[in-house]
Amino acid sequence: MSMQAKTRRPRLTRIWRAAALPLVLLAAWEASTRLGLVDPHQLPPLEDVVARGWSESRNGDFLTALAASLGRDLAGFAIGAAIGTASGLLLGFYRPAQSILGPTLRVHRQIALFAWVPLIAVWFGAGEPGKIAFIALAAFQPSLINTWRGVQEIPDRFHELAAVLTFSRLDFLRFVGIPAILPAIFTGLKAALIYAWQATIGAELFMTIAPGIGGVMMQGRQLFQMDLVLLTILLLGLVGAGFNTLAGLSEALLLRRRTS
Amino acid sequence: MARAPLPVSLSLQRLVLQNSAALAADQHAALLLSGFHPAPTGDALIGDALVNRQVQLEAWDDSGARGHEAEGDQAAIGSLDRINAAISDWVGRNVGRVLLGLSFPLILFITWQASSLYGWLPDQILPAPSLVWQTLQERIADGSLWDDASISLLRVLRGFTLGATAGLALGGLMAASRKLHDYLNPLFLAVSQVPTLGWVPLLILLVGIDEGLKNILVALSVFIPVTLGTYQGIRDVPHGYREVGQVLTFGRAQMLRIIILPAAVPAIFTGLREGLSNGWQTLVAVELLASTEGLGYQMSYGRQLFQLELVIATMLVIGLIGFVFDFLLGRIENHLQRWKVAA
Amino acid sequence: MTDLHLGHHLHAVENTPPSVEGVPGSDRHAILSLSRVSKHFDVAGRRVQALSDVSLDIQEGEFLSIVGASGCGKSTLLRLILGLDRDYQGEILLDGQPVKKPGLDRGIVFQEHRLLPWLSVEANVAVALRRSKLSPRQKRDTVRAHLELVGLEKFAEAYPAQLSGGMQQRVAIARALVNRPRFLLLDEPLGALDALTRLRLQDELKRIIRHEGITALLVTHDVDEAVYLGDRIVIMQPHPGRIAGILPVILPRAVDGSRSRSDSAFLRLRDHVLGQLGVGQEDAPIRAAE
Repeated sequence: MSMQAKTRRPRLTRIWRAAALPLVLLAAWEASTRLGLVDPHQLPPLEDVVARGWSESRNGDFLTALAASLGRDLAGFAIGAAIGTASGLLLGFYRPAQSILGPTLRVHRQIALFAWVPLIAVWFGAGEPGKIAFIALAAFQPSLINTWRGVQEIPDRFHELAAVLTFSRLDFLRFVGIPAILPAIFTGLKAALIYAWQATIGAELFMTIAPGIGGVMMQGRQLFQMDLVLLTILLLGLVGAGFNTLAGLSEALLLRRRTS
Repeated sequence: MARAPLPVSLSLQRLVLQNSAALAADQHAALLLSGFHPAPTGDALIGDALVNRQVQLEAWDDSGARGHEAEGDQAAIGSLDRINAAISDWVGRNVGRVLLGLSFPLILFITWQASSLYGWLPDQILPAPSLVWQTLQERIADGSLWDDASISLLRVLRGFTLGATAGLALGGLMAASRKLHDYLNPLFLAVSQVPTLGWVPLLILLVGIDEGLKNILVALSVFIPVTLGTYQGIRDVPHGYREVGQVLTFGRAQMLRIIILPAAVPAIFTGLREGLSNGWQTLVAVELLASTEGLGYQMSYGRQLFQLELVIATMLVIGLIGFVFDFLLGRIENHLQRWKVAA
Repeated sequence: MTDLHLGHHLHAVENTPPSVEGVPGSDRHAILSLSRVSKHFDVAGRRVQALSDVSLDIQEGEFLSIVGASGCGKSTLLRLILGLDRDYQGEILLDGQPVKKPGLDRGIVFQEHRLLPWLSVEANVAVALRRSKLSPRQKRDTVRAHLELVGLEKFAEAYPAQLSGGMQQRVAIARALVNRPRFLLLDEPLGALDALTRLRLQDELKRIIRHEGITALLVTHDVDEAVYLGDRIVIMQPHPGRIAGILPVILPRAVDGSRSRSDSAFLRLRDHVLGQLGVGQEDAPIRAAE
């Protein structure tokens, strides 16, 4: 709210500031373990964590676990997002479907996602099918909602335009409908990706058969290996950040031509 | 300079693309991570009625001459009655739709009933509806449902209060001070990338599995969207409105109270809604994983004993609570934004 | 109808100070004076000279129209006078004092009405009185009076979203006037409205500003509007933004003080201004103003 012209803060300043707090925290970490201020079980020394990270990445287990987790995440995401988007399109464009299925889906949305875990575990077992089913369920919801809403929010003027140009249903979908809702579909996919990853971790914590990052975390917890737990958290964060960056990049790419 | 006329499809595509960008910008903020919010389709018709009123007002009064205004006002008041009529029309016209909407659940229910009658699936996989109903009644009667529900609700409320307060504070601070934002945002972003449940093993090692765990986790899952919503909401206050405040020589307090906060409320509220939704989700998950009482625990218990009727009954209750949360917050949101006419 | 502050100018026409009739500057003193004002922007590495060496004196009570195509710096000039921007070279003096920040002595009507959507019409106007020393009762009365002035007293409880564009802009005008500013700045106030509303509101503006006896500065790209409303016309050219000429508007008036838009003197003056702006001459190169 200053009245002066805002000078552009140089990039360097921003980078300095961004690094400041993390560096301070790392320094504090190092200091507190060196000075013996904390219980090494609760906060292992920085070097130990780094060393453990190095050794874990050299032996294949960590990577196998990560690969397994990512595999089911993407499988579940693909299934859930596909069904969700298709359903969103169906419900959006086809009135009868909306009337019949709409209310049921609305009710379904009210039930917290994780409430499904016990049921799915019993129906699909606690192995791969169960996990993937749960992840798919998680991805289904946001892609459905966003796609559906995208279709609903196609401005009336587009419908009118199509009518005036005597478009057939197919023409409308091809030239107006689908292009108009692509941003919404994309938003749905982004959200679905995030939810799917959350569900993957959750599923692995509950259904602990088979390798996965969640299993590694549980193992770390049970064996009181804080360094392992910290590493997995770091990994989770990196994967999450990776997903977000990917989504952001592809969105920029996809919507690049659309700037008005 | 004359242009060769584009083929219809291409020019139409360009028209669509141009408008979609505007659509995308609006939707981007509103729809990200909104997977668990109901779509306000019912409100669309009421919105239509209000827009009609606006159109009528426009048509009737654009004249500088004062003579026309009396007629315009009469018509404006008439359109209020029109809104009432529109609502009752809607209900009448949509009886058919309501029935259709019930058809699918009805079919599901009949299938369910048939399955348990004819034994298509064992009782441990799919208990009979009557059993579920009976379980519900029993639990209501002996008060255990209420106990579990209130424990869960209390936890959510505690976590929500904690997380929302922190989120409002941090979001507000970061929006107010660019400096603070630059220092704190990277850490905040890093933390928000980790799925909430990913913190569970760490927290269990640090604080055990009692109330502290639940409070922290629920609060964390609330904190993140509230911070984001608050920050975005305040920063997105249109520059034009801020200038109005400057031109009217508002002080900082007045600027905040009269311009910034009202303008930011929609986004802040979206953040709060998402926070509550997240918090509820997290609570259910944590109770499933590491709890000895509460609704989540009941489901876990039911699963272990293969008493799926308990699981299903509890799921229904969880769904009901989710619905009530959403409904209440939706009402509050509408109230706070009365001045907005649906586009 | 309250008599508060609306003055006794019910017969504004007869009481109009003679200077408004178009003899520039002779018996009035300048209350706003700009000397050698310059401002540049840096856009994508290039320097754009938005204003270059602009000097102007504005007399008390006059209606000054500033006209020019987009990009000639007229809106920028207005913002500097308003005090929203302090990054410029040169001097802007209001009553001999340099302009440092916005003040309630200068009211503005923006092109977008910028009414606060969460406040009712009445509240929107009242909000301008927050710093005023009037009692609540007096505030309420003056708000009502100004709503009457713009003909919207019956819509006091409505919200901006329920009003048409013309009505919204009228509320903005009421808000700009409620503090009884000495100066009314208008930044293309009618640009977003349809042609019919624009014409009607031009008459309204004229009536209101006469009523209040305010000094007005109107920025517009509509030449007809500039000639119709102004006592003097400042013509600006872009690249760099500068004053190309200042014309007094000497036109016959009807008994009620209005001008005719189809009077031959009007049309000649208008065409002259258009010519100065480089429009309407077949052999003049058509330059894109952007």
